[in-house]
Amino acid sequence: MDYAGSDTTTGAPIPGQARSWQTDLSRAPSVTKIVIAGGFGVGKTTFVGSVSEITPLRTEAVMTTAGEEVDDLSDVPDKSTTTVAMDFGRITLEADLVLYLFGTPGQKRFWFMWDDLVRGAIGAVVLVDTRRLADCFPALDYFESGGLPYVVAVNHFEGTPRYAPEAVREALSLAADVPVVVMDSRDRITVVETLLTLVGRALLVTAERS
Amino acid sequence: MTAAGTLRGGRAGTAPDGCQAARVRPYSLTGGRTRFGHVLLVETFVAALDAWEEEQERADGGTGPAPLAARVVPEVRAIVGLCRRLRSVAEVSALLKMPLGVVRVLLGDLADQGRIRVYGTGYPDGRPDRALLERVLSGLRRL
Amino acid sequence: MRRILIVGAGQSGLQLALGLQAKGYDVTVVSNRAPEEIRAGRVMSTQIMFRTALHYERELGLNFWESLAPPALGLGVSVAGNVPGMPGIRRLVDWVGRLDGYAQSVDQRVKMPGWLETFAERGGRLVVHGVTVSDLDFLAPRYDLVLVAAGKGELVSLFARDPARSPYTTPQRSLALAYVHGLGPRPEHPEYDAVRCNLVPGAGELWVIPTLTTSGRADILFWEGVPGGPLDVFQDVEGPGEHLTRTLELLEWFAPWEYGRATAVELTDAGATLAGRYTPAVRDPVGRLPSGSPVLGVADAVVVNDPLTGQGSNSAAKCAASYLASIVERGEEPFDAEWMRGAFERYWATARHVTRWTNAMLAPTAGHVRSLLGAAGGLQPVADRFANGFDDPSDFEDYFFDAAKAEAYVTQVAAAAATRG
Repeated sequence: MDYAGSDTTTGAPIPGQARSWQTDLSRAPSVTKIVIAGGFGVGKTTFVGSVSEITPLRTEAVMTTAGEEVDDLSDVPDKSTTTVAMDFGRITLEADLVLYLFGTPGQKRFWFMWDDLVRGAIGAVVLVDTRRLADCFPALDYFESGGLPYVVAVNHFEGTPRYAPEAVREALSLAADVPVVVMDSRDRITVVETLLTLVGRALLVTAERS
Repeated sequence: MTAAGTLRGGRAGTAPDGCQAARVRPYSLTGGRTRFGHVLLVETFVAALDAWEEEQERADGGTGPAPLAARVVPEVRAIVGLCRRLRSVAEVSALLKMPLGVVRVLLGDLADQGRIRVYGTGYPDGRPDRALLERVLSGLRRL
Repeated sequence: MRRILIVGAGQSGLQLALGLQAKGYDVTVVSNRAPEEIRAGRVMSTQIMFRTALHYERELGLNFWESLAPPALGLGVSVAGNVPGMPGIRRLVDWVGRLDGYAQSVDQRVKMPGWLETFAERGGRLVVHGVTVSDLDFLAPRYDLVLVAAGKGELVSLFARDPARSPYTTPQRSLALAYVHGLGPRPEHPEYDAVRCNLVPGAGELWVIPTLTTSGRADILFWEGVPGGPLDVFQDVEGPGEHLTRTLELLEWFAPWEYGRATAVELTDAGATLAGRYTPAVRDPVGRLPSGSPVLGVADAVVVNDPLTGQGSNSAAKCAASYLASIVERGEEPFDAEWMRGAFERYWATARHVTRWTNAMLAPTAGHVRSLLGAAGGLQPVADRFANGFDDPSDFEDYFFDAAKAEAYVTQVAAAAATRG
C-alpha cells in the first residue's frame, strides 16, 4: 500500500514483549535490511507482514505531486502535495542479529527515497503483479543501474493465470542471472524462500566482486 | 584539507603518458575519510543515554544560545522517552508519526549533545559483508 | 546565534553553508548523499568556473584544489561548416580569446565531498537524507531561515515557474558529457590549456574543458545537441563505453580538428559519463510550505539555464555570494518572504544577463553574431572581450544583442587596429 488512507496500518507501539536486545542498552545487535519494491497494490505490505515479528509500521512523507513537470502546478500547496508511505517490518534472526524489511512504492519519482533506503541494504525484492507488469519497470531500471543485488518475485494472485518464471523473465527482459520466483505474499513459507533466494544472490554477487 | 597538498604535480603534461603519471587515488585529494557526525540509516539503532530527564529540564529552562532541541521540547521529550528501549531510526519516525528527515535532524542534534547514543554506524560503507550475509542466510533458514 | 537550514550540497549550498559558518551562523546542511557516495558516484556537471566565481571561493578560503586543477588561460571558439569544393566539415572560424583571469573546473565529486567534510570538521551539522516537504514543514518554523539549494529533485516544484522570465517550455539541448584521460593538446596552442567551444550550426555545440577529477587531470568532452538533430543520439546508449564511442564518432564527423587529439582517450572511471536534458526556467524564488512557512530557493533551484554557456557553477557561486551578503546584512531582523524576494532580486540583477545571453545562444545564431564571431578571428580585442564575457555576461548587453551595436563595435576595433598597424 503506497498511500495514506489506503490501508490501516497500526501506529501503535510495537506489541508483544520486548526482545532481549531491545532492553540491553550496553550494546546493539547487528542490523541489516532488505528493500521490497513494487507498484501500488502489488502486496508489499502483505509480504512484509507475513514474516515480520511486529505489525508492519508505517512512516509517511509529504511530497509535491510532480517531479520535473512543474509547469502545470498551481502554487496552491494543498493541491500540489501527496502523502507517500513506507511500511516496514522486523525479524530477529538471532539474539544479536536483526533484519528489517522495507516496502517502498515503485514510481520513478520516489527514487530519491530509494537512494536513502538502499544505503547498506543486502538487496531488493522486486514484487511483480503479472496483470500490471509495467508497474515494476522503474524498480527494475533502478536496481539494474545501481548494481544492487535483486530478485524478481511474482506475487501470484488467486484466479489469475500462473506464469512460468521463464515467461516472466522474457516479458521483463531480465538477464539470465537474475533469479525469478513465483510466490504468494500471504504465504510465510514462500516469502521466506524469496528472501533466501535474494540473500543467496547477494552472496554470489559479493563473491564475484572480491 | 591539508592532505590535498600531498597530491603533487596534479597539473601534469597533456600527453597521454603524462596523464598516466598524474593519476592519483581519489581519496588522496581530500585526505581520505573523515569522521563526520552520525550517518543515520533507517535501520540504525539509537537509545537514550542516562540522566536524560535532568538534561531535558535544562533544555526547558536554559538560557544562552538555544540548541535546536530547546525549540522542539515536546518532540525531543517524545524521542528520548521512546528511546529508553533500543529503537531503529525508522521505528522512531513511525511510532512518533514524525517525518524521517525530522527524526534524523533531531537525533543528530541529540547525539551531538550526548543525550542519544547511536549504535554501530559510522559510515555507509557499502554492502553487508560475506560473514553477515551468511548469518542472515542461516537465520532465515531457521524461520 | 541564528540557525539556518540548507537543503542541497552542491556549489551554491555548500559555498553558502561554509560562508555562513565562518560568520558564526549555526548551519545545518541536508544532503541526499554522504561524501563517500558523491565521490564514488557519477559525474554531475562540467563546472567550469571563471574569474569572478573563483574569486568568491578564494575569498572564503575554499579554493583547496586551485594548485592542482589545470588553469584554462583562454577560451576558444570554432565554428564548423563546409567549404565549397572541399570534403568534410572544416573550421570556418577559429580563435582563442585570452581570459583576464584563468578559468578552472574541479569535478564536483572531488569538491563537494571535500567541502562537506570541511563543513563537518568545522562543527557544522550534516544530515544525510532525501528531504521531503513534510520534513521542511516541520523544520522551517524551528529555523530562522530555510534555503533550498537542490536544483534537481522534487523540492524544485515548491517554486512556481515564472513564465514572464522563462521563454522556453521544453529542453533546448540534449546533453552528453564524458570525462577522459589522454586528450592531447590543441596542436596550434600546445603550451597552454583553453576551454574550447565548437559550434556546429543547426546541430549543437561541443565543449572541451580541462578539469581535475578524482584520478587527477582530465578533460571533459561535452556535446550539446539540438533535440531531434544529429547530435541528439545519447538517449538509448547502453553503458559508459558506448557513450564514449558515440562521443568520439560525433567528434570525428563534426569536429575533426578536436578528434585529432582524442584518438587515445579513455574514460576516467565507470561514472565518467552523463546524459540528459532539462528545460531552462526562472522560478518564483519564494516557496510556500503547506503550513505557510516561506523557503528561499538558491541558484539553479530558481534560475536554471542551459549549460550551453558554461554558467551553471558560476551562477551558483555568484548566487551564494549574493545571498551571503544579504543574510549577513539582515542582522537580527526576520528572514520573511519580503526579505527573500529582495535577496533574490539583488541576485537577479546579475543573473538576468546570464539568462538573456544563454537563451540567445540557444536560438539559431543571428547573422550579426556570426559576423561578430568571424571578426574576432582577425581582431584579437574582439576575441578577448567575447571570452571574458563568460566571466561577466553583463558585458554582452553593450554590443552582443543588437546588430547595429555589434557592427559599430567591430568597426571601431578594426579602425583602432588599422591606426596602430
